Amino acid sequence: MDLSKLQPGESLFSDRITVSAADATAYLSATEDDGDIYAREHLVPPLAIAALVMSAAMRRVELPAGAVHTGQELDFAAPVREGEELECSASVLQNSVRRGTRFLALGVVGTRSGEPVVSGKVSLAIPDAEEEAGDADAS
Amino acid sequence: MPTPPERLTEITHRVTQPQLAKYADASGDHNPLHLDAAFAAETPYGKPIAHGMLVLAFVSESMTKSFGRAWMCGGSLKARFRAPVYPGDTVTTAGALKSTSDAMATYTVVVRNQDGTEVLTADAVVPLAE
Repeated sequence: MDLSKLQPGESLFSDRITVSAADATAYLSATEDDGDIYAREHLVPPLAIAALVMSAAMRRVELPAGAVHTGQELDFAAPVREGEELECSASVLQNSVRRGTRFLALGVVGTRSGEPVVSGKVSLAIPDAEEEAGDADAS
Repeated sequence: MPTPPERLTEITHRVTQPQLAKYADASGDHNPLHLDAAFAAETPYGKPIAHGMLVLAFVSESMTKSFGRAWMCGGSLKARFRAPVYPGDTVTTAGALKSTSDAMATYTVVVRNQDGTEVLTADAVVPLAE
């Protein structure tokens, strides 16, 4: 994907995801989180949902391998239980180039039955970008 | 309204390369900057770095251990990644109460590596449940 063509407000993807008990366990193992609330209440770690949605968004925009995560905002509205289906989407909030680095901000949201459970903004820096005229910012 | 703790539950993790591989599989983020030593050697970092969302997971772990479900029911955070975390680094997450208002508590959270370098800073807000 040509990152220079991404426009603020542009939808990147919308998809349904389900985080299984096995997915949640794999995430907790990878993050070495020994908190027992998730297993006890069959909940999905909130960062797991955010991470999965963000990864899907980054794959969709085909980020170059040197892209770096510079900032993150997240809001958690409600817990998510293992096996619940969520509608997840991502869109472009900002796309600009300064001093050879592209700064891209993406908005992500996960909803359940139309109600948000997690939302956020991911800020990325991508090196080796060519200067363009003007900034594009919808954040 | 309950009185919020002055300090968050402190969390320490040693980040390893096998952990980054596990995290890549669990999160779907297979950026070679985190996984491929040859690729990372050609970047300004010189070697693989940890996923930012892995480091952020340590903040969420601290908030969950401090506040339980309340963190998942109205919690929010705003974080900046200040410095890379490399495999072999030991990072400690700590937080202190910054303010309370409207039944919400705001914490200043800092993740430092073994040298005391701030690798992540954040403001985390959590509702004070009855």
